[in-house]
Amino acid sequence: MTKIAHTSAGGPASALTPRDDFSRRSFLGHIGLLGMGTAVLSAGTASKAQAQYGPSSLDDLPKEQLVKMYEDMLKIRLWESKVKDLLLAGGFRGVAHLYVGQEAIAVGVCHALRKDDYIASNHRGHGHLIAKGGDLGRMLAEITHKATGYCKGYGGSLHITDVGLGILGMNGIVGASHLFAAGAAYGIKVKGTDQVAVSFGGDGSIQGNFFSSAANAAAAWKLPWIGIIENNGYQIWVRVSDVYGIVDLAQRAQGYGIEGRVVDGNDVLAVYNLTRHAVAKARAGGGPTLIECKTYRWYDHYGAGGAKIGVDGAFGLGYRSDRELRHWMAKDPIARFRGTLVSDKILSDDRAEEIVKAVREAVEKAAAFAQQQPAPKPEDGLLNVFAEGAVPLHTN
Amino acid sequence: MAKSMNQAILEAIQAEMRRDKLLTLLYEYQRPGLNLEGEFGPWRVRYCAIDEQWIVGAVLGMSMIGVPAIAHIPSMTTFIPYELMFNHAGKLRHMTGGQAAFPMVLWADMAGRVPFQAAQHADAGLESSYARLTGLKVVVPSNPYDAKGLMISAIRDVDPVIFCDYSMPSSGPPVPDDPYTVPIGEPVVRSEGKDITLVGYAPQTLELAKALELLKQDGISAELIDPRTLAPLEGVMPTVLKSVQKTGRLLTSDDGSYSFSNCTEIAARVAEALPGTKIKRLAFPDAPAPGAPEMLSYMRVDAVKIAAAAKKLVKG
Repeated sequence: MTKIAHTSAGGPASALTPRDDFSRRSFLGHIGLLGMGTAVLSAGTASKAQAQYGPSSLDDLPKEQLVKMYEDMLKIRLWESKVKDLLLAGGFRGVAHLYVGQEAIAVGVCHALRKDDYIASNHRGHGHLIAKGGDLGRMLAEITHKATGYCKGYGGSLHITDVGLGILGMNGIVGASHLFAAGAAYGIKVKGTDQVAVSFGGDGSIQGNFFSSAANAAAAWKLPWIGIIENNGYQIWVRVSDVYGIVDLAQRAQGYGIEGRVVDGNDVLAVYNLTRHAVAKARAGGGPTLIECKTYRWYDHYGAGGAKIGVDGAFGLGYRSDRELRHWMAKDPIARFRGTLVSDKILSDDRAEEIVKAVREAVEKAAAFAQQQPAPKPEDGLLNVFAEGAVPLHTN
Repeated sequence: MAKSMNQAILEAIQAEMRRDKLLTLLYEYQRPGLNLEGEFGPWRVRYCAIDEQWIVGAVLGMSMIGVPAIAHIPSMTTFIPYELMFNHAGKLRHMTGGQAAFPMVLWADMAGRVPFQAAQHADAGLESSYARLTGLKVVVPSNPYDAKGLMISAIRDVDPVIFCDYSMPSSGPPVPDDPYTVPIGEPVVRSEGKDITLVGYAPQTLELAKALELLKQDGISAELIDPRTLAPLEGVMPTVLKSVQKTGRLLTSDDGSYSFSNCTEIAARVAEALPGTKIKRLAFPDAPAPGAPEMLSYMRVDAVKIAAAAKKLVKG
């Protein structure tokens, strides 16, 4: 049986074994155990983890970057909240899989990357794109399938991407992100650069063969691949603990010979620190890392069911309890980070509020921009199948 | 000595790897000849685990960041990467509004209807399943000359190409040592005739060529067209239609199973464009290939069956 050491800020490390203290109904309680720290699988020790990857990056990060991280998290929260309100208002030209609640992961990971590093995203990918520098207006234009959106209206919410930002696509097929990022990591080795490729996938993304193929090859050839597992507790509408025999999904890493780690996905600094460690290792030729971020999805798998205009969270969803949601909303990654920044005098409360106001205005501007954008020309559906020309319509 | 299909393909890859310093080959099973690994090193010629999903998925990821690559997979695993080609390689350019590109080749070995192998190791016609997917180009060379030229075209193409390798025996024009291209989307008229148009590719070209001789003995002049490219078919059809306009009759033949095959698609397009054409398609029954040679040859479409069906179309 594998021993897994969890560290938590201010508390002693507790040893967990799979299933032991994890009943099917105690997902909430289990996640709560993690506190702020990281857990180390395989060879590491709790104290080592705390020393190297604990919440200490306040000392290392420049103030401007910390504030930018806060701003990026807000961008995700407020842009998506706007999308949720538009969905509820009716007549929305599209769909959405909302990321709210998981902002610390996208921002913590992407801030540990260089501009020329690659990410591969999944169906819940708005946050990844925003954290990598996506334009809010072009994003909203795309998810409403307008001609000037990122994908000219072809892709929409599930597939919105900016290849120019090093994004290998949002991909609606669960698990594919891992395989493409590991493939890109192989390509990086062929090119001989020190870039890294990061894949974002949910808790459901590690069971199909894509993940297995990626992890095995990355381990065999020490590819600069970092797999991020955003464990938000649910695969579509099924509880993770009802379909998996393990509690810590990063444990899978061991079977492939990869370093696997668990981190509190609602702690942006912990996510950042751990990713920074993985990136430095990968650039130095040390190979891949699998990082499981424990977090929670505030909204439904897709759409805005159970949500209200102007109110956070989707309640009354049947497959999960409102109490569970409230517990996680109380651990709001943005409020928590803001508290840290304010108590450390990096931001004043007033300044923090000004940033909220500025982001809110940027989101409203993006919505107005998207609203004014033209729809695509119908016949353009025949383009972009191949690099050149149009496919025939075959109706005459 | 005439070059083999494999030699021709490897020459194409070697020449292109010398030209493009990033071009990479991932493979499993059989180590490629020509000492490619020795010349280009293990990163660019990688012997992988038995994992077609990795080989093809990695090639997609690599090509997305501008590292063109070839995935070589054995014949019994042709459909393991089907999902990757269907949902990703063939769709991402479109769904990203033209942003994503996959300059990659899926070099898929094809078994063909060989005896004593049975079913999983004696399949044919899988190219039809790939050809019906969107955003992919599918080529099926019938001789070493076409194989080398089409492989070079496939590597240089910015769109994903599936290169179906039936390991045909040496025939056709001699293979030059230097690189050259056979354009994707360009069919070839193998033999000109006026009474009936025969269309077939790869394994069936051998039986069709023999049938041509049998028909000659009956005073029937057949035109033989090898499409070479199966997707997109737009470049191929004008040549087929021009021929059928002349002959008024079409026989398509396929070593894959009868339903939903490429020979069905070509026949349907001719029927739409030229109403009144007399059409026959011949293909393997909708059954797996049995291992016993008696059963297999009974089920296969051979030259005698082709000649008999063609004769019926012309005289019947």
